[in-house]
Amino acid sequence: MSNMNKTIKELHELLKNGEITSEELVKESLEKAHQLQEECNAFVTIIDDANPEKVTDNLLSGIPYGIKDNYSTKGILTTGSSNTLKDYVPYFNATAIEKLNKAGAVKVTKTVMDEFGMGGTGTTGHTGIVLNPWDKTRICAGSSAGSACAVAAGVYPYALGTDTGDSIRKPAAYCGIVGYKPTYGMISRYGVFPFASSLDHLGVLARNVEDCAIVVDEMKGIDEKDMTSWDSKDINLFANLKEETEGKKLCYIKELCDISSYPNADEELKLHLENFHKTIQKCRDLGIEVEEVSVDRKLLNALFSTYIVIYSAEASSNMSNLTGIIFGPRGNADNYIDMIKDHRTNGFSTLIKRRFIIGSYVLQKENMERYFKNAQRIRRLAVDIWKDLYKKYDAVISPVGIGPAKKIEDINKSHDTNTVTLDEYLCIANFGGFPSITIPNGFVNNLPVGVNITGNCFDDSNVLNIAYTLENALGYKNQIAKEVKNNE
Amino acid sequence: MSKFTKEMVDDYANKLLIGLTEEENKLVLDEFEQIDKQIDLINEIPNIENVTPMTHALDNFVTFLRDDEAKTSDDIDDILANAKDVEGREIQIPKVVD
Repeated sequence: MSNMNKTIKELHELLKNGEITSEELVKESLEKAHQLQEECNAFVTIIDDANPEKVTDNLLSGIPYGIKDNYSTKGILTTGSSNTLKDYVPYFNATAIEKLNKAGAVKVTKTVMDEFGMGGTGTTGHTGIVLNPWDKTRICAGSSAGSACAVAAGVYPYALGTDTGDSIRKPAAYCGIVGYKPTYGMISRYGVFPFASSLDHLGVLARNVEDCAIVVDEMKGIDEKDMTSWDSKDINLFANLKEETEGKKLCYIKELCDISSYPNADEELKLHLENFHKTIQKCRDLGIEVEEVSVDRKLLNALFSTYIVIYSAEASSNMSNLTGIIFGPRGNADNYIDMIKDHRTNGFSTLIKRRFIIGSYVLQKENMERYFKNAQRIRRLAVDIWKDLYKKYDAVISPVGIGPAKKIEDINKSHDTNTVTLDEYLCIANFGGFPSITIPNGFVNNLPVGVNITGNCFDDSNVLNIAYTLENALGYKNQIAKEVKNNE
Repeated sequence: MSKFTKEMVDDYANKLLIGLTEEENKLVLDEFEQIDKQIDLINEIPNIENVTPMTHALDNFVTFLRDDEAKTSDDIDDILANAKDVEGREIQIPKVVD
């Protein structure tokens, strides 16, 4: 019998009643992790010597969980899935990890990610591609690929992720689970490898909204080590979690959600959008008001380039300390310049190198106005539009991606601009720091797809309550991946 | 003719102390072209130059000075244990000044 398929509350009850022990849970979780590693390559490290924890009144005590490999974990390998840090063992914990340690949570794995969080496919980690547990010919998306894979496969009830563009919310959709990133700064970023600091969020992947609320309540809080963190003691996500429909208003964006925007749509995109509109109808059946709104197509289509320009610039600066001198394996050469060059040339994947060069280019004095500053201007224009929407609506609801998980061989397939925009536009929540959650909303070709709800800053409870209400009505909560064989 | 050239990409890579293969160079060039097209679209937005660039996700950060209290810094033994080349209480690194 499997316990790791259960919810956090169910596991806590069993632990408190003495029907199971933390030791048994850790053993089961580790066994499942090793099995999944063989099948899907989800882990950089499986912590075989993980110790069970004393069970207390804290809901997370004694229960195993997974950690994306960009969270610093004291004494445990932390690579960012990069060859440049392949042997790096931090001597301190990220603040979020400290908080979960205090709660008595048991870390059992470090999960594979796209290298330093860059890339949305789960294919660029230094330990190889993470395969989707529903269909091993497909990706999990990224960058929190291993975390999504492991939660979907039932290795533990939750895993930590980070999200700079959609890195929690898209893998959640592709793996049929829930992914939540709270308002920017609600969880301290201290001790998590910076990627693009103005866009980086921490968050969680779980199999239901309630588990997300429980975990983020424990991770959040102001931290003097992160000046962008803020005091959220008045926000109690789990205690305030309830089904709410009265007076709730959502909107969806016509240009993104209407099939007429995609004259070259394939079957999967058509079915995905049909399914999305069924979810809209479900919301209306529940008594939630949903309206269609229009946003300037030109602005929407600029979002992805805006995202690339901003994150490339911030990443090229943030990662300039990766030289092989102070971290990571030293390069082979006679002088320090060539040593650094050897380290960076051989250590970074192609994608990272490309982004660094773009980042460096857009930051040059002569290019900054045209590229970097204009990207930041688009960021403001787009965020202002969303802020205006939040004056009238509780949240924006949208499909996640352009269908179910992509085939591995299709990740570089080119699409028309409108389709790329639909695939990438969730970065708006990073631009504005908005709380944003993906929940599963059905299947396309037997593979899970997701729907996203994004609300205004600091309105996390409202966003979670809407997601909780919808999750209960849709009936896809607590899904465990079942391999699909008929999907060719 | 494109304003982006192979030589330009190699020059930027050199400044970043990164070596590129021919294939990687080509990928960067293609990406530059795509981004440049999008930036052209951005520049078509009326009065874009009058918009204040948004540099961070939130605009209401509260900064304050910490109290001037002495605190324990990272443990030196932890740091030494974390380093590869240690001599006594010092970490050995390559010469990084010319």
